[in-house]
Parts: sequence; structure tokens; C-alpha cells
Amino acid sequence: MIDSDGGQIWMHVWAIATAATVAAACALVGSFLVVRRLSLLGDAISHAVLPGIVLAVLAGGRPGGAGVFLGAVVAALVTVWLTNLLGTHAGLAEDAGAGVAFTTLFAIGVVLVSALASRVDIDPGCVLYGILELVPFDTVPIGGIEVPRALVAATIVLVGLVVGAVVFWKELVFAAFDPAAARAAGLPVGLLAAGLLVATSLATVAGFEAVGAILVVAMLAVPAAAAELVVRRFHLVIVVAVILGIVGSVVGYLAAWRLNTNAAGMIAVVLGIEYVVAALLAPGDGIVARIVSRESLRWRVACEDRLAALWRAEEGDAGALAPRTLVDSAAHVWLVCRGRVGSTAGGGLTQVGREEARVIVRSHRLWEAWLGRHVALPLDHLHPPAEWIEHHLGAEVRGRIAADLEEQGGDPHGREIPPEQTAPGTPPVLPR
Amino acid sequence: MILAAADPPFTAAWALPYNTLVVAAGVASVGFAAGVVGSFAVLRRRALAGDAAAHATLLGVGLAFLAGGGRRDLPLLLAGALAAAIAALGCLVLIGRWTRTRDDAATAIVLGVSFGAGITLLSGITARGVAGSAGLEQFILGHTAGLTATDARMLGGLSLLAVCLVIMFLKESTLVAFDPSFAAASGWPVTLIDYGLVVLVALMVVVGLPAAGAVLVTALVVIPPVTARQWTDRVGIMLPLAGLFGLVSALAGVAVSSVVPRMPTGPLVVIAASTLLTTSLLVAPRRGGLARWLSARRTVAAWAEGRLLEIALRLEGAGPFTREQILARAPGAAAASAFRRLVRGAALEPVVVRGGGHAWRLAARGRELAAERTRRLAVWTEVLEAAREDARGQLTIDVPSPESILGAARLKSIRESAAAARGGPGPT
Amino acid sequence: MSTTSAGLEFHDVTVAYGRRPVLWNVDLTVPGSCLFGIIGPNGAGKSTLLKAALGLVPLAGGEVRILGAPLDQVRGRVGYVPQRESVDWDFPVSVTDVVLMGTYARLGWLRRPGRVERSLAAECLDRVGLADVADRQIGRLSGGQQQRVFLARALAQQADVYFLDEPMAGVDARSQERIFRVLADLRAEGKLVVIVHHDLRSAAEWFDAVALIDMRLVATGPVAEVLTPENLRRTYAGRLDVLDEIGRAVAEGGRTP
Repeated sequence: MIDSDGGQIWMHVWAIATAATVAAACALVGSFLVVRRLSLLGDAISHAVLPGIVLAVLAGGRPGGAGVFLGAVVAALVTVWLTNLLGTHAGLAEDAGAGVAFTTLFAIGVVLVSALASRVDIDPGCVLYGILELVPFDTVPIGGIEVPRALVAATIVLVGLVVGAVVFWKELVFAAFDPAAARAAGLPVGLLAAGLLVATSLATVAGFEAVGAILVVAMLAVPAAAAELVVRRFHLVIVVAVILGIVGSVVGYLAAWRLNTNAAGMIAVVLGIEYVVAALLAPGDGIVARIVSRESLRWRVACEDRLAALWRAEEGDAGALAPRTLVDSAAHVWLVCRGRVGSTAGGGLTQVGREEARVIVRSHRLWEAWLGRHVALPLDHLHPPAEWIEHHLGAEVRGRIAADLEEQGGDPHGREIPPEQTAPGTPPVLPR
Repeated sequence: MILAAADPPFTAAWALPYNTLVVAAGVASVGFAAGVVGSFAVLRRRALAGDAAAHATLLGVGLAFLAGGGRRDLPLLLAGALAAAIAALGCLVLIGRWTRTRDDAATAIVLGVSFGAGITLLSGITARGVAGSAGLEQFILGHTAGLTATDARMLGGLSLLAVCLVIMFLKESTLVAFDPSFAAASGWPVTLIDYGLVVLVALMVVVGLPAAGAVLVTALVVIPPVTARQWTDRVGIMLPLAGLFGLVSALAGVAVSSVVPRMPTGPLVVIAASTLLTTSLLVAPRRGGLARWLSARRTVAAWAEGRLLEIALRLEGAGPFTREQILARAPGAAAASAFRRLVRGAALEPVVVRGGGHAWRLAARGRELAAERTRRLAVWTEVLEAAREDARGQLTIDVPSPESILGAARLKSIRESAAAARGGPGPT
Repeated sequence: MSTTSAGLEFHDVTVAYGRRPVLWNVDLTVPGSCLFGIIGPNGAGKSTLLKAALGLVPLAGGEVRILGAPLDQVRGRVGYVPQRESVDWDFPVSVTDVVLMGTYARLGWLRRPGRVERSLAAECLDRVGLADVADRQIGRLSGGQQQRVFLARALAQQADVYFLDEPMAGVDARSQERIFRVLADLRAEGKLVVIVHHDLRSAAEWFDAVALIDMRLVATGPVAEVLTPENLRRTYAGRLDVLDEIGRAVAEGGRTP
């Protein structure tokens, strides 16, 4: 079979194409599962379809044929029914009930496969981690080209899922985010849920031959979870999930080929790495982004505190002039570089610096006054909260607080609250 | 010590080599400990975390195998498995704390990726033909055939340790499982105890690996406690009962697996445990399906009889009544069979009527029953007035005896307080 | 009633969920022996204030002192009745088992409840009127009975300060009366009882002093002084949006508009 480099390359191309198609289908379905907190369902179905597949093959269906898909759907429905049964009669929480149901069905499936290994063309190992490498050898002729049967089945499933998702897009999204309102609005929520169940079963069976039962779980959950961290709009989540799934399957297969190990497992590992990278680097929410934002907040606070200290020094509080910590000194240097503070020794605030400092001190004293008025706090407790909040008040809210206070004149300690701006029409400049 | 071959056939069947007995004892103790430890996992709703840990053990087994230079040394491999299991649980915690990903997705991620990594490693080891690697596959679905007596003793010892820890810290575990905020407010280190429980579950998962394999071992930890819960309402009984069910499941699975060598043990253990569960769901008293169905039938039957008696009392004033007359006032399928039962029980007696028809009237027994029903209703009304919450949910349509439902002592105290309230200065 | 010992003190307590403040700068002192109510609209942070006192949520600022000391030094003298929703009522324990849990902290690690603890539990059950259901599994009780089991457990803690979180929620009127009578007895014995409560009318009837909370302390003091129309308007008639917006800005690390 492998008689030329070209022929061998084609085998790999087919295998990769199959894996990628399966990954795309699973990522699509998985997005709905993850967003609706139904990842467990994916786990359950991917295990539970096994007896359905085995019985269908026993009854004469070919692996990958329509009968097998039907058997899988039936098995999935049985799982859900059992889970509900256990919930109502055994008082089991949903996750425990599903766990009992699908492990039992999976166990039955494995026993069937082992016992009937001669009559059923399913390898027990394949059940767990698929036989992606062998997929290119089972082909059907399509338009003169020998195409792997698994790829054909996966493509049909993928196309069907895409069409279904597009046609029912509005209803699916509505039901996903607010099932109660959707039901009240007359949407057939139960039908949509059943549809999701069927879609998961189809994707699972399509992935069965490629990556086996358990790694389908990774394909369903990981790309969608990673996509969720990176983008916030649902249609984008699906797109990113599908891309991550395809990339993961291609890279995983190639890596497995290089390292001479199981392709399905490697794909799962690559998907996991994608997730970790997404968790670290996601804009706004990622771990790196959060650390950066926290540190930049801390720096902004340090600079603003320094400006406020210099203002208070100008008002007459000479003790505030000297920098108290290393961070204070660093902030001072930075302010000099940015032209907020004079560069001469003992230099004070520049014009720009004074404007910014004014805003900080105004925020501080407005908040102290507001607290004094609305919250039953003693006088000596007002300074620390104002030290904190002064960095978070913007112009509009300051205006509302000032209006609320009817400009009672000074802050509770008797000092003057600086006005919003010195010259009318020039709004103060603030560090971003 | 093999029993003499001269024994009669049926004892020869029980003639087991010492090795097998030790292995059986080891597996039995693993099953028992899994049930006991699993009880808290189920009560604490942490079943699924154990699944993620279980799937990760494969990776640990592979790494330990490599680290040990290719020896199939069970303690070493299980140590690796334990490390991987705890690492997986740590990942779950990290994902929960540092990302927006929700619990269920996090479990699926850790489960799928760690299992994939494990498969990759094992497959890579096998592909390179490292000596001794063939046996590693057995950790996926479990295979006790290769267990030695030494291995079994180690597993048994670890199981015993786990059970001892649970018993020692029974009150702390129950408290934290039942009401963590109260426990925290009382000063208990809830997070520590929780982690301890989870690590114990990871330990049981690892110890159960040879018997059930990574994929299915959580079933051994989850299903027996669920089964035990159907039979009892008390933690003190649920724990040993779960242990018993786990023990039986593990032994059954191993026994069948030894008869059918090619079959992995894990699925057989799970099927045994599920069979026990299904049976319990049907048969268990009070909570079981059968018991509840029977009880519901009895309630309906008693209700129908009570209604007929009432109607009979009313009709009596106009003389004997016919069957049609009484049934006309009691619609419903249950009424006809209730009528038959009343007749059989001599609560209604036939009366000969001019013209040869059949009529009925209340017999002495029937009057007794009717009077008893009236008395019960009166007592229940008192209870409703004095202590409504005791009546709520207990007073069913068949008007059961208040003495049996509430208990004689409680009923007495309710009636006394009701009498005091009536005889007192006024309604409370 | 000793005037020098303050039962409960909040000094400038701020609590944040994540980075978002939900309680702002609460400064409050409660005397040592009294029936004290914490009142306010839904979501105002009343439960949060209680949990902050018990160390169940971290403080973003300020400190709490109970009986003049930090919580860790006086845990043995503090009793707690949490909300009923926090518990799985299908748990296989009996009423007596739950009440015995109140004695666990005193027993410490590894020791089991003995005769002394059991007779204490029986006493507490008697006090709340549940002696007859001592062996029932807790799921088979009515709402009022479940609440009283929690109360009995707190009584078993033999504390000097009791914290109750919405003890009257979902409980019928008769049980409420019963519970209140037990609490009044506790106050008569010189204990401090702090209750988060949702109903203004019964608050006016039952409590000695109250604190009005709406994301911050609006007013505190004897009931008649605090429950004035002006104060109630400030608490209940519309949230201060300013606090919401600032809270969001703080959570994001930026400025408000």
C-alpha cells in the first residue's frame, strides 16, 4: 500500500483531514455544551454511545454507517433518561446520576466488545483512543478518488451541524442564554435540547473512529473553553473554537507522527496547550493581562499619590514633601520625566502637574464629604477610604457628588475642596 | 495450601490456592475502602473531581515507569499515579481560581487532556518497545490477573489506612460535608479538611486502579455509596453498608474476570455495582421503587374504603342500600375493589330484600371502622390546630392512625398543650 | 448590662466580592447584651456583614472585634445559625446528630461526643420544643422545625454572642414566636443576639436596637430612633447609584465616567 513517498503522504493527508473535520464538528457542538454548562453531557454521551455502536454493528451495520449513528443516538437518549430516573428516584444530584448512568453503559459496551471481539469489527483499544492511523485504509470511491469512509461520515455530520446551527441560530442562542424566557416566548426548548443531544451523539460517533470515546471529550470541551476565554461574543466563540480545534488536530497529528506516538492522545495534549496559552494571554481576562493591569493600577496610584502629596505640600503641609518609600521616589522621577514636576532640585508641580493634582485632591475631599454625609463614619475614619477611592472618581461622578453635597464648602476636616477647573472651558487633563 | 484433591467435587470447587485468597482479600478491602471513602465524596457532591483525578493517573503511571527504569514495580507505579491524581486536582483548583472557565468544563478539560497525555506517553513507550511496557495497558481498564500476593497486601494495607483515617475523622468529615459555613464559623479549617477528603479520594482511585482501571474506577467509588443511601438514613450505617456493597462488587468483578481471561476487570466491577444499585432502587424499603408503589397502592385502597364507609353511614338512614347506589356516590376505579374488600372483611353485610334483590348495610365491624375513622379525623384536627407543622405532610388522604405516625409520646404532649391552650386564658 | 464591654464592633469595615466592594466603610458598635437587628433591603449586604464578623468572607479593609477581641480568640464564645439554604436536607443525619455538631468545636479533633454532650443536646432540643423528633432524619421536618434545629445547635455551642442569618425566613408565624421567645431568653441571660432580619414590622416589635444597612451603614441605635420615615426613605427608596458605579470602576481598576 505504501509504495511511494507520494502515496504515504496522501495517507497522512487523509488522516489529518479526518481529524480536522471531526475537530471542527466537535468544536461546534462543544461551544453550545460549554456555554450552557453541559460539558458533563458531552462526557456522558461520548462514553455512553459505546453499547449503542456495538449493538448496531452486531445487528449488521457497518462501522461508520447510518445504523451506527442511529444506535448512538438511542444510547444517548437512554443515558439522559437514566440520569433523570436516578435523579427523581434515587435523589441523586445530576452529575452523580449521569456518572452512574454513563459509566455503566460504557462498561456494558466494553464487555460486549471484548466478548464479541471476533464477531464485531471493533478493537477494544480503538474504543478508548481511536485508530486515526488506520482511517485512510478504509475508503469509498467518490468521483473516482478513494476517500476514507470516516472522513465522508465526518464531513456529512459537519455539514449537517453547520446547516442546523445556521438555520436555527436565533432560537439556539436565545434558548442557550435564557431558557426560561425562551420557553415563555413559545420556543420549543425541549426540542432544541433534544437536538443538542442528537448533535452531540453524531459528533461523538463521527469522532469515535478518529480519536475514540474518551478523547472526544477533549475535542468537545477544550477548544470551546479556550475560545470562551479569548472572545466574548458567542458567534465568535464558535469560530475561534473551530479554528483552535482544526489547528490542534493538525499540529497534534504531525507531532505524534514525529514522536512516533498515538495521534489522538497528542491532539488532546496540543488542545490542552492551546487552552493554557489562551488562559495566559487572553486580552483583558487572561492571567498575564490581569497581572499587567494590576501592576499598572498600582503604578498609577503611586504617581497620583505623589502628585497629591506635592499639592498638600504647597498648601502648607511640609511633611508631605519628602518621598516616603522607594516607590514614591520612583514615581517622583517618572513625574519629572513626564513634565508634571519641575526638574530642578526641590522642584514643585508644573502647570500641568498642578491641574492633575488638583483633580486628585478634589476627588479625595469630595469623597470624604460624601462619606461624612451619607455614611455614619467618625471623622478620623474618613481619610483611608478617600485615599482609596480618589483614584477611581471620574469627572461626571464628581459632578454628581458635588451637586449632592450642595457645595457645603470644605471637606469635613475644614479644608477647601479645590474647584473642578481654574479657567472656565479648560477641562483638566488626567493620566490615563 | 491447596486442599486435598481427594475431597468431594463441591469442596474441590472451593479449593483455592493461597495466592488467590490473598489477592481476593486485597481486592475485597479495596472495594470496601472505596465504598467508605466514596460515601463522603458523594455526600459532598465531589464525585466528578475524582473522575478527573482518575483519568490523570495514567500519565503518572507512565512517568513512574520511565523513572523506575522500566520495572513494573506496583508501589512505584501507584506512587506516580497518586502524584498525577493530586496534580490533576490541583489543576482543577487553579482553573477555578484563575480563569472564567466553569466547573464542568474544567473537569472535562483536565480529564480529557490528562488522559490524552497519558495515552500519548504509554503509546510512545510501547511503540519504542521498552521492555515491560506491555503490562501498562492494564491500568486503563483494570486487570487483576497479574496481581501478586505482595501487591495485594500493599493494596489491602493502603485501604485499611484509608478506612482508619475516615473513622478517626468521622465527626469532622461529617460536619464539613453537611454544613461547611457552620464549620468555618466554628473555627474548623474547612479547606484543609476538604482537601484531605479529596486527597483520600485520589488515594482510593489509585488503589483501585489494578482492579478497575483509570477509566472506570470512579464508578467503584461512587456507585456503592449511592446504593447504600437507598437503604438507610444514617451516616453511621451508610458507610459500612457502602463498604459492603463495594466489597461485593469488587469481588464479583474479579471473580468473573478470572473465569474469562480476556475480559478487563473494570467493566465487570462496574456492572456488578450497578446491578446492586438497580436492585436496591427497586427493592429497598421505604425509598425503593417497589416499596413506594406498594405504599401508594395501599394508601389509595385505604382511602377508597374510608370513603365508602362514610357514604354507607349516610345512606343507612334510608334503610339498606344497593351496590349500585353506593358506588354511584363514589366515582373512581378504586371504589369497586374497595367495596369487595369491605364485603370480604365483613364490614358490610347482605340483607335480604323483598323481591329477591341484594341490598347491603353496615355490619358491626363496619360501624367500628367508621367510628375509628371519625375519631382519627378529630384527633388530626386537634393536631392541626395545636401543632400544624407536625400534621403537614403526615396527614395523608387515607387518614392514618395519629399514634403510629407521630408516636404516642409526641401525640400526648401535643394534645396536652392543645387542652391547656383551650382551658387557658384564650387562644394563643 | 455592662457598659464597658462592647459585644461587637465593626471598625471601618469594607467587604469586596472579587474586587468589587459590596459593603462600604461600616463603623458600628453593639453593646454586650441586647437583641440587635440588622435590617435593610434585599442585596444590601446584611448577610455579608454577618459573614464578615464570622470570618466567612475576607475584609477588604477595617477590622471586627467580638467581645473586645479578634474572632480567633473568642470563637468558643460565638454561636452561629446560618441560612437554611446552605444545607443539603437529604443528608443522612438525625436531628440529634445535627445538634451535637454544636459541641464539636469544644471537643476538638478526634474526640467523640459522650454522655455530657448528649444530655446537653437533649436539653437544647427541649428548649426549642423539638424533644419528640430527636431521632428523625432532618429532611423529614417542616421549615420551622428545621430552623429550630439550627437554633438548638447554636444553643449547644453555649456561646455568649449569637449570630443568626435570616432565622425567620420561610417560617410560619407560630414557629417565629417560639424562636423569638428563645432569643429573648438568651438576652435575659445577658447574651448578645445579632439577627439579620428582613421584616420591618416585626423588627420594630422584637429588637432593642437595629442597624439600617444599604451597602453602607445608614443609621444605628435604639429602634424608635432609627426606624424613622427619613431613615427608611434613605435606605429603601432607591439605591445610591454612585456606589454602584464606583464599585464597578474599582473592580476594573479604572475611573468612573
